[in-house]
Amino acid sequence: MRVDAEMPFFFGPDAGLFGMYHAPSFPARRAMLMCPPLGQDLIRCHRLYRQLAQALAEEGMAVLRFDYFGTGDSAGDSAEVDWERCVSDAIAAAAELRRRAGVDRVVAFGARLGGSVALTAAERAHFSEVVAWDPVLDGGSYVAGLDAMQAALREDAGRFNRPRSHSDIAEQWLGFDTGETLRRQLSALQVAPANVPTLVLDSMPVSSGPRWDGIVSRRGKVATIAPPTPWDDLGRLETAILSHPLIQAVTGRLKEVA
Amino acid sequence: MREEAHRFGRARHLVGIAGVPEGVRGETGVIVLNAGLVHRIGPFRLHVELTRQLNAAGYPTLRFDLSTLGDSAASGGQQTRAQQVCADLDDAMKLLADRAGCERFVLFGLCSGAQNAHVVAASDPRVSGAIFLDGYAFRTLGYTLRHYLPRLVDPARWARRLMRRASGSPATPKAAPQPVFAVAPAPRDEVIADFTGMVDRGMKLYLVYSGGISNYFNHARQFRECFGKVMRHPAVTTRYAAETDHTYILTGDRARLLDGVGGWLSRNFPPASAGRHP
Repeated sequence: MRVDAEMPFFFGPDAGLFGMYHAPSFPARRAMLMCPPLGQDLIRCHRLYRQLAQALAEEGMAVLRFDYFGTGDSAGDSAEVDWERCVSDAIAAAAELRRRAGVDRVVAFGARLGGSVALTAAERAHFSEVVAWDPVLDGGSYVAGLDAMQAALREDAGRFNRPRSHSDIAEQWLGFDTGETLRRQLSALQVAPANVPTLVLDSMPVSSGPRWDGIVSRRGKVATIAPPTPWDDLGRLETAILSHPLIQAVTGRLKEVA
Repeated sequence: MREEAHRFGRARHLVGIAGVPEGVRGETGVIVLNAGLVHRIGPFRLHVELTRQLNAAGYPTLRFDLSTLGDSAASGGQQTRAQQVCADLDDAMKLLADRAGCERFVLFGLCSGAQNAHVVAASDPRVSGAIFLDGYAFRTLGYTLRHYLPRLVDPARWARRLMRRASGSPATPKAAPQPVFAVAPAPRDEVIADFTGMVDRGMKLYLVYSGGISNYFNHARQFRECFGKVMRHPAVTTRYAAETDHTYILTGDRARLLDGVGGWLSRNFPPASAGRHP
Protein backbone atom coordinates (compact mmCIF):
# COMPACT_ATOMS: atom_id res chain seq x y z
CA MET A 1 0.00 0.00 0.00
CA ARG A 2 1.20 3.55 -0.71
CA VAL A 3 0.97 4.80 2.85
CA ASP A 4 1.51 8.47 2.02
CA ALA A 5 -1.43 8.18 -0.35
CA GLU A 6 -3.67 8.18 2.74
CA MET A 7 -3.31 11.45 4.61
CA PRO A 8 -5.15 12.37 7.81
CA PHE A 9 -5.93 16.06 8.30
CA PHE A 10 -8.35 18.53 9.83
CA PHE A 11 -10.46 20.88 7.74
CA GLY A 12 -13.72 22.85 7.74
CA PRO A 13 -15.03 25.36 10.27
CA ASP A 14 -12.30 26.07 12.87
CA ALA A 15 -10.38 23.13 11.35
CA GLY A 16 -12.63 20.94 13.47
CA LEU A 17 -13.52 18.18 11.00
CA PHE A 18 -11.31 15.11 10.68
CA GLY A 19 -10.67 13.77 7.20
CA MET A 20 -8.68 10.98 5.60
CA TYR A 21 -7.84 11.63 1.97
CA HIS A 22 -7.07 8.67 -0.27
CA ALA A 23 -5.14 9.88 -3.30
CA PRO A 24 -5.86 7.89 -6.47
CA SER A 25 -3.30 5.58 -8.08
CA PHE A 26 -3.42 7.68 -11.24
CA PRO A 27 -4.87 11.11 -12.07
CA ALA A 28 -8.51 11.10 -11.03
CA ARG A 29 -11.47 12.10 -13.16
CA ARG A 30 -13.94 11.40 -10.40
CA ALA A 31 -14.00 11.43 -6.64
CA MET A 32 -16.05 9.79 -3.91
CA LEU A 33 -17.15 11.31 -0.62
CA MET A 34 -17.82 8.68 2.01
CA CYS A 35 -20.45 9.91 4.47
CA PRO A 36 -20.26 7.86 7.68
CA PRO A 37 -23.26 6.67 9.64
CA LEU A 38 -23.78 7.94 13.19
CA GLY A 39 -23.32 6.38 16.62
CA GLN A 40 -22.08 2.84 16.94
CA ASP A 41 -22.64 2.21 13.21
CA LEU A 42 -19.75 4.62 12.55
CA ILE A 43 -17.37 2.49 14.60
CA ARG A 44 -18.69 -0.78 13.19
CA CYS A 45 -18.25 0.43 9.60
CA HIS A 46 -14.83 2.05 10.00
CA ARG A 47 -12.81 -0.84 8.60
CA LEU A 48 -15.21 -1.43 5.74
CA TYR A 49 -15.12 2.26 4.79
CA ARG A 50 -11.32 2.10 4.72
CA GLN A 51 -11.33 -1.06 2.60
CA LEU A 52 -13.78 0.48 0.15
CA ALA A 53 -11.78 3.72 -0.02
CA GLN A 54 -8.59 1.79 -0.79
CA ALA A 55 -10.33 -0.28 -3.46
CA LEU A 56 -11.69 2.86 -5.13
CA ALA A 57 -8.35 4.68 -4.95
CA GLU A 58 -6.76 1.70 -6.70
CA GLU A 59 -9.38 2.15 -9.44
CA GLY A 60 -8.33 5.77 -9.88
CA MET A 61 -10.85 7.61 -7.72
CA ALA A 62 -9.90 10.24 -5.18
CA VAL A 63 -11.70 9.42 -1.94
CA LEU A 64 -12.39 11.38 1.23
CA ARG A 65 -13.56 9.79 4.45
CA PHE A 66 -14.50 12.21 7.23
CA ASP A 67 -16.22 12.54 10.60
CA TYR A 68 -19.09 14.94 11.31
CA PHE A 69 -18.85 17.45 14.15
CA GLY A 70 -19.34 15.58 17.43
CA THR A 71 -18.36 12.21 15.96
CA GLY A 72 -15.16 10.21 15.48
CA ASP A 73 -12.01 12.33 15.66
CA SER A 74 -13.79 15.59 14.81
CA ALA A 75 -14.29 18.37 17.34
CA GLY A 76 -17.37 18.43 19.52
CA ASP A 77 -19.04 16.17 22.06
CA SER A 78 -21.32 13.29 21.18
CA ALA A 79 -24.25 15.16 22.76
CA GLU A 80 -23.68 18.01 20.27
CA VAL A 81 -24.33 15.97 17.12
CA ASP A 82 -26.86 17.87 15.05
CA TRP A 83 -28.52 16.59 11.88
CA GLU A 84 -28.36 19.93 10.04
CA ARG A 85 -24.69 20.23 10.97
CA CYS A 86 -24.04 16.72 9.60
CA VAL A 87 -25.54 17.77 6.27
CA SER A 88 -23.54 21.01 6.15
CA ASP A 89 -20.38 19.10 7.13
CA ALA A 90 -20.95 16.76 4.18
CA ILE A 91 -21.26 19.78 1.90
CA ALA A 92 -18.02 21.24 3.34
CA ALA A 93 -16.32 17.86 2.89
CA ALA A 94 -17.41 17.69 -0.76
CA ALA A 95 -15.84 21.10 -1.37
CA GLU A 96 -12.65 19.98 0.38
CA LEU A 97 -12.53 16.85 -1.75
CA ARG A 98 -12.94 18.82 -4.98
CA ARG A 99 -10.16 21.15 -3.90
CA ARG A 100 -7.75 18.34 -3.07
CA ALA A 101 -8.55 16.08 -6.01
CA GLY A 102 -8.93 18.83 -8.62
CA VAL A 103 -12.08 17.25 -10.00
CA ASP A 104 -15.66 18.45 -10.08
CA ARG A 105 -17.52 15.15 -10.35
CA VAL A 106 -18.16 13.76 -6.87
CA VAL A 107 -20.16 10.64 -6.07
CA ALA A 108 -21.42 10.26 -2.49
CA PHE A 109 -21.61 7.00 -0.59
CA GLY A 110 -23.18 6.40 2.78
CA ALA A 111 -24.36 3.58 5.01
CA ARG A 112 -27.54 3.91 7.13
CA LEU A 113 -27.75 7.55 8.33
CA GLY A 114 -24.67 8.28 6.21
CA GLY A 115 -26.79 7.39 3.17
CA SER A 116 -29.53 9.66 4.47
CA VAL A 117 -27.02 12.52 4.82
CA ALA A 118 -25.75 11.92 1.27
CA LEU A 119 -29.29 11.98 -0.16
CA THR A 120 -30.23 15.10 1.80
CA ALA A 121 -27.06 16.96 0.83
CA ALA A 122 -27.06 15.79 -2.81
CA GLU A 123 -28.31 18.94 -4.51
CA ARG A 124 -26.46 21.46 -2.34
CA ALA A 125 -23.22 19.46 -2.55
CA HIS A 126 -23.69 18.93 -6.32
CA PHE A 127 -23.14 15.20 -6.10
CA SER A 128 -23.20 13.52 -9.50
CA GLU A 129 -24.63 10.35 -7.98
CA VAL A 130 -25.55 8.89 -4.60
CA VAL A 131 -24.89 5.30 -3.54
CA ALA A 132 -26.86 4.67 -0.36
CA TRP A 133 -26.49 1.42 1.59
CA ASP A 134 -29.60 0.64 3.64
CA PRO A 135 -30.30 4.36 4.13
CA VAL A 136 -32.64 5.48 6.89
CA LEU A 137 -35.65 7.06 5.20
CA ASP A 138 -38.14 7.22 8.06
CA GLY A 139 -36.44 8.78 11.07
CA GLY A 140 -39.36 8.09 13.39
CA SER A 141 -39.13 4.32 13.09
CA TYR A 142 -35.34 4.52 13.29
CA VAL A 143 -35.58 6.42 16.59
CA ALA A 144 -38.13 3.89 17.88
CA GLY A 145 -35.67 1.10 17.04
CA LEU A 146 -32.83 2.84 18.86
CA ASP A 147 -35.06 3.44 21.89
CA ALA A 148 -36.06 -0.23 21.94
CA MET A 149 -32.44 -1.40 21.78
CA GLN A 150 -31.44 1.08 24.49
CA ALA A 151 -34.24 -0.27 26.73
CA ALA A 152 -33.09 -3.85 26.06
CA LEU A 153 -29.52 -2.85 26.85
CA ARG A 154 -30.56 -1.99 30.41
CA GLU A 155 -31.25 -5.65 31.13
CA ASP A 156 -28.59 -7.17 28.87
CA ALA A 157 -27.28 -10.05 30.99
CA GLY A 158 -24.44 -10.60 28.54
CA ARG A 159 -23.14 -7.14 29.37
CA PHE A 160 -24.14 -6.29 32.94
CA ASN A 161 -24.09 -8.42 36.10
CA ARG A 162 -27.33 -6.77 37.20
CA PRO A 163 -29.93 -4.75 35.32
CA ARG A 164 -29.13 -1.04 35.36
CA SER A 165 -31.49 1.68 36.45
CA HIS A 166 -33.62 3.65 34.01
CA SER A 167 -31.66 6.79 34.84
CA ASP A 168 -28.39 5.00 34.01
CA ILE A 169 -29.48 4.55 30.40
CA ALA A 170 -31.39 7.80 29.91
CA GLU A 171 -30.55 10.28 27.14
CA GLN A 172 -28.21 7.88 25.35
CA TRP A 173 -28.35 5.65 22.31
CA LEU A 174 -26.12 2.59 22.44
CA GLY A 175 -23.07 4.18 24.02
CA PHE A 176 -23.45 7.79 22.98
CA ASP A 177 -24.94 10.81 24.71
CA THR A 178 -27.92 12.02 22.72
CA GLY A 179 -29.06 15.61 22.72
CA GLU A 180 -32.73 16.52 22.60
CA THR A 181 -32.16 18.39 19.35
CA LEU A 182 -30.89 15.31 17.50
CA ARG A 183 -33.75 13.20 18.85
CA ARG A 184 -36.26 15.77 17.60
CA GLN A 185 -34.53 16.12 14.24
CA LEU A 186 -34.30 12.38 13.61
CA SER A 187 -37.85 11.75 14.81
CA ALA A 188 -39.10 14.17 12.15
CA LEU A 189 -36.73 12.98 9.42
CA GLN A 190 -38.31 11.94 6.13
CA VAL A 191 -35.64 11.59 3.47
CA ALA A 192 -36.78 12.76 0.04
CA PRO A 193 -35.39 11.41 -3.21
CA ALA A 194 -32.35 13.21 -4.56
CA ASN A 195 -32.53 14.73 -8.00
CA VAL A 196 -29.45 12.79 -9.09
CA PRO A 197 -28.94 9.15 -10.12
CA THR A 198 -29.34 7.06 -6.99
CA LEU A 199 -28.32 3.48 -6.30
CA VAL A 200 -29.77 1.90 -3.17
CA LEU A 201 -27.89 -1.15 -1.94
CA ASP A 202 -30.34 -3.20 0.08
CA SER A 203 -29.11 -5.62 2.71
CA MET A 204 -31.88 -5.13 5.23
CA PRO A 205 -33.51 -8.27 6.66
CA VAL A 206 -36.48 -9.20 4.48
CA SER A 207 -38.92 -9.02 7.38
CA SER A 208 -38.21 -5.34 7.89
CA GLY A 209 -38.04 -4.66 4.17
CA PRO A 210 -38.19 -0.91 3.74
CA ARG A 211 -39.89 0.53 0.73
CA TRP A 212 -37.26 2.08 -1.48
CA ASP A 213 -39.77 3.08 -4.19
CA GLY A 214 -40.06 6.63 -2.96
CA ILE A 215 -36.34 7.17 -3.09
CA VAL A 216 -35.48 5.65 -6.46
CA SER A 217 -38.65 6.36 -8.42
CA ARG A 218 -37.20 9.19 -10.45
CA ARG A 219 -33.57 8.42 -11.21
CA GLY A 220 -32.37 5.31 -9.55
CA LYS A 221 -32.35 1.62 -8.95
CA VAL A 222 -32.09 -0.92 -6.16
CA ALA A 223 -29.57 -3.74 -5.91
CA THR A 224 -29.78 -6.43 -3.27
CA ILE A 225 -26.74 -7.50 -1.27
CA ALA A 226 -26.59 -10.81 0.55
CA PRO A 227 -26.32 -11.78 3.33
CA PRO A 228 -28.45 -9.33 5.33
CA THR A 229 -26.48 -6.90 7.50
CA PRO A 230 -27.14 -7.24 11.27
CA TRP A 231 -27.48 -3.49 11.91
CA ASP A 232 -29.90 -3.82 14.80
CA ASP A 233 -28.63 -6.91 16.62
CA LEU A 234 -27.76 -5.92 20.19
CA GLY A 235 -25.67 -9.08 20.53
CA ARG A 236 -23.37 -7.87 17.75
CA LEU A 237 -23.25 -4.25 18.78
CA GLU A 238 -19.46 -4.23 18.98
CA THR A 239 -18.77 -6.49 16.01
CA ALA A 240 -17.36 -4.83 12.91
CA ILE A 241 -19.54 -4.85 9.82
CA LEU A 242 -17.56 -6.24 6.91
CA SER A 243 -18.98 -6.98 3.48
CA HIS A 244 -17.04 -8.02 0.43
CA PRO A 245 -20.26 -8.02 -1.64
CA LEU A 246 -20.76 -4.36 -0.71
CA ILE A 247 -17.28 -3.44 -1.94
CA GLN A 248 -17.86 -5.37 -5.15
CA ALA A 249 -21.24 -3.72 -5.68
CA VAL A 250 -19.89 -0.17 -5.23
CA THR A 251 -16.71 -0.62 -7.26
CA GLY A 252 -18.70 -2.46 -9.95
CA ARG A 253 -21.25 0.34 -10.16
CA LEU A 254 -18.60 3.00 -10.53
CA LYS A 255 -16.84 1.06 -13.31
CA GLU A 256 -20.22 0.73 -15.01
CA VAL A 257 -20.77 4.48 -15.16
CA ALA A 258 -17.14 5.53 -15.66
CA MET B 1 -5.64 22.98 23.20
CA ARG B 2 -5.16 21.87 19.63
CA GLU B 3 -5.49 18.44 18.07
CA GLU B 4 -3.14 17.48 15.26
CA ALA B 5 -3.59 14.63 12.79
CA HIS B 6 -0.38 12.73 12.11
CA ARG B 7 0.94 10.05 9.84
CA PHE B 8 4.14 8.95 11.50
CA GLY B 9 6.39 6.05 12.44
CA ARG B 10 9.46 4.27 11.09
CA ALA B 11 7.61 3.38 7.91
CA ARG B 12 5.17 6.32 8.06
CA HIS B 13 2.57 3.64 8.54
CA LEU B 14 0.88 4.86 11.74
CA VAL B 15 -2.02 7.29 12.11
CA GLY B 16 -2.83 9.16 15.29
CA ILE B 17 -4.22 12.32 16.83
CA ALA B 18 -1.96 14.30 19.15
CA GLY B 19 -3.60 16.63 21.66
CA VAL B 20 -1.24 19.38 22.73
CA PRO B 21 -2.33 21.85 25.44
CA GLU B 22 -1.31 25.45 24.75
CA GLY B 23 2.01 26.46 26.24
CA VAL B 24 2.77 23.02 27.64
CA ARG B 25 6.25 21.55 27.18
CA GLY B 26 7.91 18.68 28.95
CA GLU B 27 4.89 17.27 30.75
CA THR B 28 4.25 13.56 31.03
CA GLY B 29 2.47 12.46 27.89
CA VAL B 30 -0.41 10.00 27.89
CA ILE B 31 -0.56 7.48 25.04
CA VAL B 32 -3.77 5.58 24.38
CA LEU B 33 -3.64 2.19 22.66
CA ASN B 34 -6.36 0.46 20.63
CA ALA B 35 -8.97 -1.53 22.54
CA GLY B 36 -9.50 -4.73 20.60
CA LEU B 37 -10.03 -3.96 16.92
CA VAL B 38 -11.75 -0.61 17.51
CA HIS B 39 -9.94 2.27 15.80
CA ARG B 40 -8.25 4.96 17.84
CA ILE B 41 -11.43 6.79 18.93
CA GLY B 42 -12.07 3.87 21.30
CA PRO B 43 -15.26 2.04 22.24
CA PHE B 44 -18.13 4.54 22.13
CA ARG B 45 -15.52 7.31 21.64
CA LEU B 46 -13.97 6.63 25.06
CA HIS B 47 -10.48 7.58 23.90
CA VAL B 48 -11.62 10.89 22.42
CA GLU B 49 -13.38 11.85 25.65
CA LEU B 50 -10.37 10.72 27.71
CA THR B 51 -7.70 12.53 25.73
CA ARG B 52 -9.66 15.78 25.54
CA GLN B 53 -10.32 15.72 29.28
CA LEU B 54 -6.62 15.13 29.93
CA ASN B 55 -5.64 17.88 27.48
CA ALA B 56 -7.86 20.27 29.42
CA ALA B 57 -6.01 19.21 32.60
CA GLY B 58 -2.67 20.01 30.96
CA TYR B 59 -1.47 16.61 29.70
CA PRO B 60 -0.29 16.10 26.11
CA THR B 61 -1.89 12.99 24.63
CA LEU B 62 -1.71 10.72 21.63
CA ARG B 63 -4.45 8.31 20.57
CA PHE B 64 -3.27 6.24 17.65
CA ASP B 65 -3.72 3.02 15.72
CA LEU B 66 -1.15 0.26 16.12
CA SER B 67 0.21 -1.44 12.98
CA THR B 68 -2.62 -3.01 10.92
CA LEU B 69 -5.38 -1.62 13.16
CA GLY B 70 -7.71 1.27 12.35
CA ASP B 71 -6.09 3.52 9.75
CA SER B 72 -2.54 2.28 10.30
CA ALA B 73 -0.79 0.02 7.82
CA ALA B 74 1.75 -2.75 8.36
CA SER B 75 5.33 -1.63 8.91
CA GLY B 76 6.64 -4.17 6.42
CA GLY B 77 9.25 -5.66 8.77
CA GLN B 78 9.62 -9.26 9.91
CA GLN B 79 8.70 -8.85 13.56
CA THR B 80 6.61 -10.67 16.12
CA ARG B 81 3.46 -8.86 17.23
CA ALA B 82 5.11 -7.96 20.55
CA GLN B 83 8.12 -6.48 18.72
CA GLN B 84 5.78 -4.52 16.44
CA VAL B 85 3.88 -3.15 19.42
CA CYS B 86 7.12 -2.04 21.12
CA ALA B 87 8.36 -0.43 17.90
CA ASP B 88 4.99 1.30 17.36
CA LEU B 89 5.07 2.67 20.90
CA ASP B 90 8.64 3.84 20.33
CA ASP B 91 7.38 5.74 17.28
CA ALA B 92 4.49 7.14 19.32
CA MET B 93 6.73 8.32 22.16
CA LYS B 94 9.10 10.00 19.70
CA LEU B 95 6.16 11.82 18.11
CA LEU B 96 4.85 13.11 21.43
CA ALA B 97 8.38 14.06 22.48
CA ASP B 98 8.70 16.06 19.28
CA ARG B 99 5.29 17.74 19.50
CA ALA B 100 5.14 18.45 23.26
CA GLY B 101 8.63 17.82 24.64
CA CYS B 102 7.50 14.79 26.65
CA GLU B 103 10.25 12.63 28.10
CA ARG B 104 8.12 10.29 30.19
CA PHE B 105 4.89 8.59 29.38
CA VAL B 106 1.80 6.99 30.86
CA LEU B 107 0.17 4.25 28.77
CA PHE B 108 -3.58 3.63 28.78
CA GLY B 109 -5.04 0.40 27.46
CA LEU B 110 -8.31 -1.50 27.67
CA CYS B 111 -8.35 -5.28 27.22
CA SER B 112 -5.86 -6.14 24.43
CA GLY B 113 -4.75 -2.51 24.78
CA ALA B 114 -3.84 -3.25 28.40
CA GLN B 115 -1.98 -6.35 27.28
CA ASN B 116 0.01 -4.35 24.71
CA ALA B 117 0.64 -1.55 27.21
CA HIS B 118 1.87 -4.17 29.68
CA VAL B 119 4.42 -5.52 27.17
CA VAL B 120 5.86 -2.06 26.58
CA ALA B 121 5.67 -0.92 30.22
CA ALA B 122 7.63 -3.99 31.30
CA SER B 123 10.56 -3.12 29.07
CA ASP B 124 10.71 0.59 28.22
CA PRO B 125 12.26 2.92 30.81
CA ARG B 126 10.48 5.95 29.35
CA VAL B 127 7.16 4.56 30.60
CA SER B 128 6.60 5.95 34.09
CA GLY B 129 2.99 4.94 34.57
CA ALA B 130 0.34 2.63 33.16
CA ILE B 131 -3.44 2.36 33.34
CA PHE B 132 -4.62 -1.16 32.69
CA LEU B 133 -8.35 -1.68 32.13
CA ASP B 134 -9.42 -5.33 32.23
CA GLY B 135 -5.84 -6.45 31.65
CA TYR B 136 -4.26 -9.69 32.75
CA ALA B 137 -6.23 -11.71 35.31
CA PHE B 138 -6.57 -15.30 36.40
CA ARG B 139 -9.35 -17.36 37.95
CA THR B 140 -8.49 -18.04 41.58
CA LEU B 141 -9.91 -20.25 44.31
CA GLY B 142 -11.62 -17.15 45.68
CA TYR B 143 -13.17 -16.51 42.28
CA THR B 144 -14.50 -20.06 42.11
CA LEU B 145 -16.02 -19.91 45.59
CA ARG B 146 -17.62 -16.52 44.96
CA HIS B 147 -18.97 -17.75 41.65
CA TYR B 148 -20.36 -21.14 42.64
CA LEU B 149 -21.31 -20.90 46.34
CA PRO B 150 -24.21 -18.48 45.82
CA ARG B 151 -25.49 -20.75 43.07
CA LEU B 152 -25.33 -23.83 45.29
CA VAL B 153 -27.51 -22.21 47.94
CA ASP B 154 -29.95 -20.49 45.59
CA PRO B 155 -33.34 -22.30 45.93
CA ALA B 156 -34.73 -20.70 42.78
CA ARG B 157 -31.85 -22.09 40.75
CA TRP B 158 -32.43 -25.60 42.17
CA ALA B 159 -36.16 -25.31 41.49
CA ARG B 160 -35.51 -24.38 37.84
CA ARG B 161 -33.11 -27.31 37.47
CA LEU B 162 -35.57 -29.78 38.98
CA MET B 163 -38.42 -28.51 36.79
CA ARG B 164 -36.28 -28.89 33.69
CA ARG B 165 -35.36 -32.42 34.71
CA ALA B 166 -39.02 -33.28 35.41
CA SER B 167 -40.17 -31.95 32.05
CA GLY B 168 -37.27 -33.61 30.25
CA SER B 169 -36.31 -30.39 28.50
CA PRO B 170 -32.62 -29.60 28.20
CA ALA B 171 -31.17 -26.37 29.48
CA THR B 172 -31.39 -23.59 26.92
CA PRO B 173 -27.97 -23.26 25.34
CA LYS B 174 -26.51 -19.77 25.44
CA ALA B 175 -25.48 -18.22 22.15
CA ALA B 176 -21.72 -18.26 21.73
CA PRO B 177 -20.33 -14.82 22.50
CA GLN B 178 -18.70 -12.89 19.70
CA PRO B 179 -14.92 -12.87 20.24
CA VAL B 180 -14.47 -9.13 19.80
CA PHE B 181 -12.38 -8.31 22.84
CA ALA B 182 -9.99 -10.72 24.51
CA VAL B 183 -6.77 -10.75 26.50
CA ALA B 184 -4.49 -13.63 25.55
CA PRO B 185 -3.31 -15.55 28.60
CA ALA B 186 0.22 -15.22 29.93
CA PRO B 187 2.01 -17.22 32.64
CA ARG B 188 1.00 -15.84 36.04
CA ASP B 189 4.55 -15.82 37.41
CA GLU B 190 5.68 -13.73 34.45
CA VAL B 191 2.91 -11.21 34.97
CA ILE B 192 3.72 -10.91 38.68
CA ALA B 193 7.42 -10.50 37.87
CA ASP B 194 6.55 -7.79 35.34
CA PHE B 195 4.42 -5.87 37.86
CA THR B 196 7.14 -6.20 40.48
CA GLY B 197 9.77 -4.97 38.04
CA MET B 198 7.59 -2.01 37.08
CA VAL B 199 7.09 -0.76 40.63
CA ASP B 200 10.73 -1.47 41.55
CA ARG B 201 11.84 0.95 38.87
CA GLY B 202 9.45 3.62 40.11
CA MET B 203 6.44 3.16 37.84
CA LYS B 204 2.94 3.96 39.05
CA LEU B 205 0.16 1.53 38.13
CA TYR B 206 -3.61 1.92 38.03
CA LEU B 207 -5.60 -1.26 37.47
CA VAL B 208 -9.32 -0.85 36.80
CA TYR B 209 -11.26 -4.06 36.25
CA SER B 210 -14.94 -4.22 35.37
CA GLY B 211 -17.94 -6.47 35.91
CA GLY B 212 -17.74 -7.18 32.19
CA ILE B 213 -15.07 -9.81 32.80
CA SER B 214 -17.06 -11.71 35.43
CA ASN B 215 -16.26 -14.97 33.65
CA TYR B 216 -12.80 -14.77 35.26
CA PHE B 217 -12.74 -11.84 37.69
CA ASN B 218 -15.42 -11.05 40.25
CA HIS B 219 -14.15 -9.14 43.29
CA ALA B 220 -11.76 -6.40 44.39
CA ARG B 221 -9.90 -9.00 46.49
CA GLN B 222 -9.00 -10.84 43.30
CA PHE B 223 -6.23 -8.36 42.46
CA ARG B 224 -4.33 -9.66 45.50
CA GLU B 225 -5.38 -13.25 44.84
CA CYS B 226 -4.05 -13.03 41.28
CA PHE B 227 -0.88 -11.03 41.71
CA GLY B 228 0.08 -11.31 45.38
CA LYS B 229 1.74 -8.72 47.58
CA VAL B 230 2.83 -6.40 44.76
CA MET B 231 -0.79 -5.22 44.68
CA ARG B 232 -0.25 -3.72 48.16
CA HIS B 233 2.71 -1.64 46.97
CA PRO B 234 2.01 2.09 47.40
CA ALA B 235 2.68 2.62 43.69
CA VAL B 236 -0.26 0.37 42.76
CA THR B 237 -3.87 1.55 42.80
CA THR B 238 -6.68 -0.85 42.03
CA ARG B 239 -10.39 -0.41 41.43
CA TYR B 240 -13.07 -2.98 40.76
CA ALA B 241 -16.20 -1.59 39.11
CA ALA B 242 -18.64 -4.49 39.45
CA GLU B 243 -21.60 -2.69 37.93
CA THR B 244 -19.82 -1.64 34.74
CA ASP B 245 -19.54 -3.55 31.48
CA HIS B 246 -16.26 -4.27 29.69
CA THR B 247 -16.37 -1.33 27.25
CA TYR B 248 -18.14 1.33 29.35
CA ILE B 249 -21.19 1.66 27.15
CA LEU B 250 -23.08 3.87 29.63
CA THR B 251 -22.00 7.47 29.67
CA GLY B 252 -22.23 7.72 33.47
CA ASP B 253 -19.87 4.75 33.87
CA ARG B 254 -17.51 6.37 31.38
CA ALA B 255 -17.58 9.66 33.25
CA ARG B 256 -16.72 7.90 36.53
CA LEU B 257 -13.87 6.04 34.82
CA LEU B 258 -12.47 9.25 33.36
CA ASP B 259 -12.76 11.05 36.69
CA GLY B 260 -10.85 8.19 38.30
CA VAL B 261 -8.12 8.31 35.68
CA GLY B 262 -7.85 12.09 35.92
CA GLY B 263 -7.63 11.94 39.71
CA TRP B 264 -5.00 9.20 39.65
CA LEU B 265 -2.92 11.13 37.12
CA SER B 266 -3.11 14.38 39.05
CA ARG B 267 -2.02 12.62 42.26
CA ASN B 268 0.83 10.69 40.66
CA PHE B 269 1.87 12.96 37.80
CA PRO B 270 0.81 16.49 38.72
CA PRO B 271 0.98 18.53 35.50
CA ALA B 272 3.22 21.28 36.88
CA SER B 273 6.06 18.85 37.63
CA ALA B 274 5.13 15.83 35.58
CA GLY B 275 8.00 16.24 33.11
CA ARG B 276 10.49 16.17 35.94
CA HIS B 277 9.15 13.07 37.59
CA PRO B 278 11.88 10.69 38.83
